[in-house]
Amino acid sequence: MAEPAYTVASDGETTGEEKSSSSFPEIAIGVDIGTSQCSVAVWNGSQVELLKNTRNQKLMRSYVTFKDEIPSGGVSNQLSHEHELFSGAAIFNMKRLVGRVDTDPVVHASKNLPFLVQTLDIGVRPFIAALVNNVWRSTTPEEVLAIFLVELRVMAEVQLKRPIRNVVLSIPVSFSRFQLTRIQRACAMAGLHVLRLMPEPTAVALLYAQQQQQMIHDNMGSGSEKIALIFNMGAGYCDLAVTATAGGVAQIKALAGSATGGEDLLQNMMRHLLPDSENLFLGHGINEIKLMGLLRVATQDAIHKLSSQDNVQIDVDLGNGSRICKVVNREEFEEVNRNIFEKCESLIIQCLHDAKVEVDDLTDVIVVGGCSYIPKIRDLVKHVCKIEVYKGMNPLEAAVCGAALEGAVASGISDPFGSLDLLTIQATPLGIGIRANGNRFVPIIPRNTTMPARKELIFTTVNDNQTEVLIVVYEGETEKAEENHLLGYFKIMGIPPVPKGVPEINVCMDIDASNVLRVLAGVILPGSQQPAVPVMEVRMPTVDDGHGWCAEALHRSYGSTLDLVTVQKKI
Amino acid sequence: MYKTKKLWTPLSTVVRRALPTTCHLTPYSPNSQIRSSSSRLETSSRVSLSLHYGHDFLGNLKFSAKSFCSQSAAKVDATTKRCWNCDAVAAGMAPFLYCDSCRSIQPVDFSVDYFQIFGLEKKYEIEVDGLEGKYKDWQKKLHPDLVHSKSEKEREYAAEQSARVIDAYRTLSKPLARAIYILRLEGVLVDEEQTVSDPELLTEIMEIREAVEEAMDSQALNQIQSQMKEKLEGSSSSFANAYRSRNFDEAVTCIQKMTYYQRANEEILKKL
Ligand SMILES: [Zn+2]
Repeated sequence: MAEPAYTVASDGETTGEEKSSSSFPEIAIGVDIGTSQCSVAVWNGSQVELLKNTRNQKLMRSYVTFKDEIPSGGVSNQLSHEHELFSGAAIFNMKRLVGRVDTDPVVHASKNLPFLVQTLDIGVRPFIAALVNNVWRSTTPEEVLAIFLVELRVMAEVQLKRPIRNVVLSIPVSFSRFQLTRIQRACAMAGLHVLRLMPEPTAVALLYAQQQQQMIHDNMGSGSEKIALIFNMGAGYCDLAVTATAGGVAQIKALAGSATGGEDLLQNMMRHLLPDSENLFLGHGINEIKLMGLLRVATQDAIHKLSSQDNVQIDVDLGNGSRICKVVNREEFEEVNRNIFEKCESLIIQCLHDAKVEVDDLTDVIVVGGCSYIPKIRDLVKHVCKIEVYKGMNPLEAAVCGAALEGAVASGISDPFGSLDLLTIQATPLGIGIRANGNRFVPIIPRNTTMPARKELIFTTVNDNQTEVLIVVYEGETEKAEENHLLGYFKIMGIPPVPKGVPEINVCMDIDASNVLRVLAGVILPGSQQPAVPVMEVRMPTVDDGHGWCAEALHRSYGSTLDLVTVQKKI
Repeated sequence: MYKTKKLWTPLSTVVRRALPTTCHLTPYSPNSQIRSSSSRLETSSRVSLSLHYGHDFLGNLKFSAKSFCSQSAAKVDATTKRCWNCDAVAAGMAPFLYCDSCRSIQPVDFSVDYFQIFGLEKKYEIEVDGLEGKYKDWQKKLHPDLVHSKSEKEREYAAEQSARVIDAYRTLSKPLARAIYILRLEGVLVDEEQTVSDPELLTEIMEIREAVEEAMDSQALNQIQSQMKEKLEGSSSSFANAYRSRNFDEAVTCIQKMTYYQRANEEILKKL
């Protein structure tokens, strides 16, 4: 067995800051590991610069092939042909799968990728494997991410001629805290320390803040506050933010996001071209993988062309006697993906609503990400926001540039011209709360709360003489508890036997400056000066893989015996 | 209502350990009423006021209210303030949260109130639009993201100062929170849960509640909502008058009204 190509440095699962040992600050690099492409950028002393690989590419494909003994990724590897990506040996789209269990619809939508994604539908991690010499070799999203993170690190080290340790990564808005721990795990495997995980549109917001500052320096802009909507849609995710910018400070007013992206457009189109494609692919034989690969390349190509032309001729020989020969026009593409475009529109409306911003208040609307080239996307953003799209950003480089700026700012670098006189004030992308009032999710820190944050709520027991309560912590937006992301659970025990509704159970949640979440819970009985039992303090998330399974088991084993309810507020 | 306050003490003690602090607080009675005052406003942002970072900002403010603020707008004696790092003397009248000479963040000084942080005269009616700019100016100097490479001590100062500026911003930008806060600076503690004794207000509350429950469609709800907004504005300006004439009993009544109107508004929003 060959040595793995990556090093396991530590299992550091935190975003906590490093103790600064040297007086010379190391500038953290910005990394964008996209679903389909990845890139690295760094502050070079006067501006942000994207690093290139040996083939002079700034944007590299996010995949790993397991063809040889040592896996290699898209940073260093040169594909002889696009189809090589669809031989079964290449694993990609891992940003869509990382930290998800096999009941997740996003995992199910990945089952017709040209490698193996197997589900048991019980809430454990899916089985993912690459086909190597007719053997399915198992891997994990973390391993795949770590392999190309190592390649990105090595590439940066060669060019910057120094060891790289600290990174700022851009991540989707909709990622749960559990998914963040998986990203940190992948970074740790690659010998990287995560200085910050930045929701992608907030990285863009920082870049926007810098550009606005620059305009003031150049006497072209005004110093007044500017409100911008950022719409960032790539292959895997659609992420939005509303930012209020003044004096180089980007205050995030609201975030919205969904695992909806170019991949969904592609799959809808593939289904449209070959209606039976999913069934054809169930067996995952070598021929079927090849067939799916051919269809994928042809469809992707067609979608790209439809961004600049009204119709496109698709002609693909699937090799099994069937051949797709068809002209597809832009209206057809838009009709096939109507639900996706509607989703995008509803996200924009939601984000503006959450930010309490009217369309008239918007100074700019910024559209970035791979999908920003699709005319329908630009049209729908323009239609909702009623202004022209901002022109000052490269749609494919904005997020990584913002991450690099944050890397420099967070590393304590200052710029004589004030170009790094910047700050992002983040907000929570998802609500965090507990299961209570039956099977409801009761948020304690609502989404879009300025960080750091601390909030608490009071609950009580539902049964007489209930001596234990189960605190199940979730993150998300859905009213039904189990439809949110489980972060962990613990029991408070030893509550004195009293009638239901008497004990006051105070649950407090704290997100500190390093984005670490702590949950505190205590019990007090009326007339008492002291808590009835020791206060519990738990750092979350505590769950590991298979957490969907956990929630189900908890529910089955305990029913409502350990439940709690919120203490009603008077109107 | 005082039931919950007892828990808050042990919880904040635990948190104080978890999130190390370096502030030297004036001792206060843990059973002081202050803690109960905001305890039922859980779902509004007010809760952070009393617990943020394990500090009882208000608990200290109670003392500062007596020892500083009541003595004519609390002109902080700047000449005695020196930077912990470079020993520079704080310049001018601006609150000394940050040293301009060596750019280091100072420990929290609880005698500086939220109005002073924003360079405002201590009065209820303020220009809310101006807050955001000042808030951002402070965050640019104080935010914990900006001090990664500094000492652990200063990173703690950053966390605390920045959290306090967030609190100050939230408190001052919301009329009800601002009203409660400004009374507290006068040493008047508002218990929003206090039983309503005014029969007129009681009847009104009942009527609002019924109206909300019976509202059939969003149009009806929107109508009640705009009524609530009007009433909120009305009691807000009555508060301003009461506060100006230092009629604190009347001011407390206004706060009670504002609290109910705001809750009704929240209920409507839930139904909409
Ligand atoms: Zn100094």
